[in-house]
Amino acid sequence: MKKVSLLLTLLFLFLFSGCTKEEKVLHLYNWTYYTPENIIEQFEELYGIKVVIDYFASNEDMFAKLKGGAKGYDVVFPSQDYVEIMINEKMLLPLDKEKIPNLKYISPIVLEKATYDTDMSWSVPYYMGAAGIAVNRKKVASYSRDWSLFSDKRLDHRMSMLDDMREVIGDALAYLGYSVNSTDPKELEAALNLINKEWKPNLVKFDAEGFAKSFASGEFLAVQGYAEAIYEELDENRWDEVDFFLPKSGGPMYLDSMVIPKGANNIEAAHLFINFIHTPEIYAQFLDRFHFPASVNTEAGKYMKSTPFYRVEELEGYELKMNLGADLALYNSLWESIRYND
Amino acid sequence: MNRKKTKLKPTTLVTPPREVSPPRQQLFKDHRRLGFSNTVLVLVILFLFMPLFVVITYSFNASKGMRWTGFSLQWYYKLLFESRQLWKAFLNSFIIAITSSLVATFLGALAAVGIKWYRFKARSYIQIISFLPMILPEVIIGISMLIFFSAVKIPLGMFSIFVAHTTFNLPFVLLLVSARLDEFDFSIIEAARDLGATERQGLTKVIIPSIVPALLSSMLMAITMSLEDFVITFFVAGPGSTTLPLYVYSMIRYGVSPVVNALSLILVLAIMVMALTFRRFLKTIAASS
Amino acid sequence: MNRARRSGLIYSAPMGLWLTLFFLVPLSIIVLYSFLKKGLYGGVEWQFTLNAYKEMFNPAFMRVLWRTLWVSVVATSITLLLALPCGYAMARSRHQIFWLALVIVPFWTNSLIRIYAWIAILSSEGFVNELLRSLGLIKESLSLIYNQGAVITVLVYVNIPFAILPLFTTIDKFDFQLLEAARDLGATKRKAIFSVLLPSIKSGVITALIFTFIPIFGAYTTPLLVGGKDSYMIGNIIVDQVTKTRNWPLASAFSLIITLLSTLGVVWMLVSSQQERVQNKRGVL
Repeated sequence: MKKVSLLLTLLFLFLFSGCTKEEKVLHLYNWTYYTPENIIEQFEELYGIKVVIDYFASNEDMFAKLKGGAKGYDVVFPSQDYVEIMINEKMLLPLDKEKIPNLKYISPIVLEKATYDTDMSWSVPYYMGAAGIAVNRKKVASYSRDWSLFSDKRLDHRMSMLDDMREVIGDALAYLGYSVNSTDPKELEAALNLINKEWKPNLVKFDAEGFAKSFASGEFLAVQGYAEAIYEELDENRWDEVDFFLPKSGGPMYLDSMVIPKGANNIEAAHLFINFIHTPEIYAQFLDRFHFPASVNTEAGKYMKSTPFYRVEELEGYELKMNLGADLALYNSLWESIRYND
Repeated sequence: MNRKKTKLKPTTLVTPPREVSPPRQQLFKDHRRLGFSNTVLVLVILFLFMPLFVVITYSFNASKGMRWTGFSLQWYYKLLFESRQLWKAFLNSFIIAITSSLVATFLGALAAVGIKWYRFKARSYIQIISFLPMILPEVIIGISMLIFFSAVKIPLGMFSIFVAHTTFNLPFVLLLVSARLDEFDFSIIEAARDLGATERQGLTKVIIPSIVPALLSSMLMAITMSLEDFVITFFVAGPGSTTLPLYVYSMIRYGVSPVVNALSLILVLAIMVMALTFRRFLKTIAASS
Repeated sequence: MNRARRSGLIYSAPMGLWLTLFFLVPLSIIVLYSFLKKGLYGGVEWQFTLNAYKEMFNPAFMRVLWRTLWVSVVATSITLLLALPCGYAMARSRHQIFWLALVIVPFWTNSLIRIYAWIAILSSEGFVNELLRSLGLIKESLSLIYNQGAVITVLVYVNIPFAILPLFTTIDKFDFQLLEAARDLGATKRKAIFSVLLPSIKSGVITALIFTFIPIFGAYTTPLLVGGKDSYMIGNIIVDQVTKTRNWPLASAFSLIITLLSTLGVVWMLVSSQQERVQNKRGVL
């Protein structure tokens, strides 16, 4: 009986042990694969701070958690529209820029686009990129290298798009020549028709989770998705089977940033981490790992050893998905009629 | 309380007695090997194991995808040496499973005794609220707990997961222990009382020993459900409290899933080894439940 | 209050308090939220409104609800039809523990991984298609995954142990001599099973039904992972309302309605089985 109580006490102590040794732990809340393990390890070695990472798969998940009361994260990686929301909702702590000298490497072009926080008072850009289209070159002979690919009946039932409202509607809007942040009912209606009448009938599903695996297995011949996810599922010797491109029509773009939320326990370490990430040699390792172009930290581009899956120039026609505020309801109802109707 | 122990008369249709002695049952543990029901059973078992075979096969695949390219132990190597986050998630799952099942079994068993032994005013109330969690879809329980924790400002983390898991385990513990107590003859307690035993002794020396199998199977069930749970945990997890199912989910989008396959095989083997070692133990549980 | 009553209360109080605090209170908050206004970024604003309930009657939602109902009925029926013979065979077997272990062992692998394995099994280049192709039965791959059929298959797969266990427990308690007696009296094997066995395992069937239908109805992960664009179920909608559209009142309204329906359904089933039991006992005397 005594042994059981001892064991119980130990186990219960474990439960609440998140509260010990705060100066030595950094809590990250990040996208599921976004910071390579070796960078984390280098940080841990350099500063002697242990890093604990929790993952989210979408901004909405992350925001629901933070709004719902999850506290104790030191650095979070939201996308641009959510950075704006979090600033407005006073969920963030201001950054002490003196502790982040590497900010000088951040590309001014990127900062210009980040209209919600151009002087980095609350957020530091982490990476700017876009989802594109991947086609199985081996099995598909001729195809349009634009969003109209999804209207192609020959690929019926072998395609998927992301289960992401802003991405799909944004693609349609961009293809029709409108802004991805449009709130004009006529433009939205046109986008809805394009999606429902031409794209959706050819799609198997809207998939933001397994698209890469399904593409790699040959189940899908063309998917809308993120380059790094798709190439990750294939061995390097098969990479030339894939044609990944960002359609010239343009589309929605994302800019993920590092922020420090209220309730962070280790603000000192958070600043150290943010600064560490933008050390050009370190950031180059991040770019190499995912074959990203140096969109945010141009200095790091000089240290890169790999070829990116797409180039920064291709991002030219792309627009950041901005926060729509109350107008999001328009997109919601649009998305409902796309997703929930047969 | 008139509980007559009737002997079974084949010609009268009475509600079957709860305990049938082994020899009689043995007569009907049947002769026909390839009957309809046996065939269905075998097919269903194969059906249940098919995904398991797939998981195990791919854990030995030399490449990441679904195409088999050769045998390799690389994922096991990665599992054991390069998966710090995975093991942390596993540890979290394990801690929560043990603690929540211990607390649930303790509270649930105690309550089962109270309900079956005595009649008191709040009895129906307690029976109803302990039944409800079992019949609600997990998404509803998960959402209600997230909203609850945020409303009363309890931070999300290991503690909130612990609370959620204990809560959804309680009804099952209650069910299992009550079922066992249904077959317990409380008149023995009366007899013990007549012989001078106190109520506490009645509890600890008579009731509890006879429900030990039900306690163990409750714990087992609670641990299983806690380790498995995804939906509810998804809503109430917080910093540093990623559990194994949550981690697996995050890897499905991007990640080396064969490593998770390797972990699955290791877990299954570990449990089978444990089960074989405690074989006799399990037989007592099965026999008396 | 006499001592006996007090003890009963003392024993049950800890669990009762726990459940009241951590189950009933959250549920009440949901009831409350369903009548409040949606906050812009999630959460609620303290303003009474029936908006959430009005929004529920959106035809798109109703369509999903109908589909969920249909899928649930089909999946539950298949599950029970398979589980009954299994429970029967297991109860009559000499190696009960062996079968029990076999039914439970797959459970010890994470359910997400097993669902994911189904994708590998049902894909165009997966196990089933490769098998059929190598046997020459088909030329082109069948489209087995990312549709309603896949969702039903995997739902049956995930829930069949929950049906087998209660059925096995109840059938195990059944005295098979009664079947023999019925045969002696001239009944065929099938008649014996239908008129003698099934009625007396009714409680097991009801338990299996409850433990199967409700999880299937509220399923989230399965339709998400193996379903196609038209396989969304009500569980997905509820989660979307919380995480994506941040409409907590709507999610609460859906949850409340489902809770009420589940509770009513279960209560009705229990009451009617209780009545039958009472009738049976009366008939015996």
